[in-house]
Amino acid sequence: MQGLRQDVVHLGQRPIAPVKEHRLLTPGVQVALQAYAFLLPIIAVVVLSFFNWGLLALPTFIGLQNYSRLLSSASFWHSLFVTFYYVLLNIPMQTVLALLLAVLLNQKLPGRGIFRTLFVVPWMATPVAMGIVWQWIFDPQYGALNAFLSVFHIPGPAWLSSPAWAMPAIAAVNIWQYTGYNMLFFLAGLQSIPEYFYEAAAIDGASPVRRFFTITLPLLSPTLFFVLVTDIIGSAQVFDTVYVMTKGGPGDATSVLNFNIFRQAFEFFHAGYASALAMVLFLFLLIITLLQVFYFRSRTVYDLS
Amino acid sequence: MSLVKTELVARKEATGEKQTRKRLLQRVPSYMISYSILEIGVVISLFPYFMALMTSLKPPDQIFSSSAWSLPHPLTLQNYVNVVTQYSFVDYIWHTLLFSSILTIGQLIFSTFAAYAFARLEFPGRDQLFWLYLATLMVPQVVTLIPLFILLRTFNLVNTWTGLVIPFVLGTPYGIFLMRQFFRSIPRDLEQAARIDGAGTLQIMRDIILPLSRPIMSTLAIITFVQGWNNFLWPLIVTDTDDLRVLTVGIAAFQSNYGTQWNLMMAATFIALGPLLVLFFLFQRQIVRSIHLSGFK
Repeated sequence: MQGLRQDVVHLGQRPIAPVKEHRLLTPGVQVALQAYAFLLPIIAVVVLSFFNWGLLALPTFIGLQNYSRLLSSASFWHSLFVTFYYVLLNIPMQTVLALLLAVLLNQKLPGRGIFRTLFVVPWMATPVAMGIVWQWIFDPQYGALNAFLSVFHIPGPAWLSSPAWAMPAIAAVNIWQYTGYNMLFFLAGLQSIPEYFYEAAAIDGASPVRRFFTITLPLLSPTLFFVLVTDIIGSAQVFDTVYVMTKGGPGDATSVLNFNIFRQAFEFFHAGYASALAMVLFLFLLIITLLQVFYFRSRTVYDLS
Repeated sequence: MSLVKTELVARKEATGEKQTRKRLLQRVPSYMISYSILEIGVVISLFPYFMALMTSLKPPDQIFSSSAWSLPHPLTLQNYVNVVTQYSFVDYIWHTLLFSSILTIGQLIFSTFAAYAFARLEFPGRDQLFWLYLATLMVPQVVTLIPLFILLRTFNLVNTWTGLVIPFVLGTPYGIFLMRQFFRSIPRDLEQAARIDGAGTLQIMRDIILPLSRPIMSTLAIITFVQGWNNFLWPLIVTDTDDLRVLTVGIAAFQSNYGTQWNLMMAATFIALGPLLVLFFLFQRQIVRSIHLSGFK
């Protein structure tokens, strides 16, 4: 990302004094240390995708067979569709809500510390336990949600057993879990926007709405970029909620790609095929992230000075 | 920029008391709207916990005889007692605490340095390497687990503290990404001024970057800590013995082939949640203490 490349101070001359750099800080050392933890398993997965491996015996090389198999598999395309449907249900709603809460809590409201803690609490839950509680909530007969809806005379659907509502239900749980979390990032970003930008705009007669769109949003763009990129990557890999609540059902209505990968690797013992599936997911996420990078590259404002 | 500031201060004082009172009164309705929205949010955020809490306070026979909503009758703390005494949950808390702390410290140190390198230092292949790191986030953990586990097994690191923390202790691409974005939003002029004065990178980090980075580092600390606390799949696979077991694995163990002990599981969930809440409330004050980028002083 080029962005604002002003580099070392030039002033039309050479840099003034040689900058003393500490040896250990050189990026090379840092990279070497971290490479093993990040890159080695990834390389292993890439390599594995060309093999057939039942986890018990040794892998056998089969070339591109895993890939041709998945391209012709209807369940693969279906899980791809389901995954992106889920991301669409999840991310826009979550981002807007998180931004709204962050803006509300950026004011000098008394008690805002308590609110901030409370909104983040859903994110701190143990995955397994919360999945179970939400199953109770979504229960068609005894669950809290349908009981609540019946007060307004709305007949609640069968939620997790309904092919139409299962995916939205899972998305709702995820929104519940992560909105507070995203709010944290927006709060940190909002708080680095200097006060005097707003004051100057207010004196020039700009309304709060106008100030939001011309000052807040642009200066929030690095944060927004980060939140969107990481959230899309994270939610496309949803697994825990699906595993605990629906196990891919009803039928294959919630059979997201990562869940399929898990089943292929640990239930059907096709670790090579699972690796190939993971590679395809990776490829899609890469494309989507690159699209976001290009979108944000020209629009990101790092500094209004 | 400082000229603008002086202007603003002068104008502010000129408009006087009447404006202040008027503005305060104008704020009340918007505060009430804010509070209403916030309160709805809180109810939605907390009611699942309320249900879990009710369940944790009920004796086992009452779990399904009444709906999850109803209050326990009689209310009992026996579940909590059982969890702590019959299962080594106190140990699990220590293990999880140690695990999360190691991860958090490692993340704060290493990701900060790496992020600064990616944000401000120039070296060949910098941006490509950064995107490579980012790309590793896009491969599901489910598959990278297998090679990682085999790698550890080769070096006899299964069921050890080293093996448990190795994939995370030198920071994660996520943390690096977060910090890098933040560092890029710090005005370059601050650092350039320091470099003209002959400051080295370490000095700049200590005197300029770190003081400005408190909110983001607090955020990263909390995130890393909670992620470590709730990490399930990795400890499940790497640890097998009770002297390494963490809370998530312990809680999941209540779900067995013989049936699930809901009441114990919910009690254990709250025991696991407690320390997180305390820690978070302490740290969020740091985030609240906003940093005013007043630019040049």
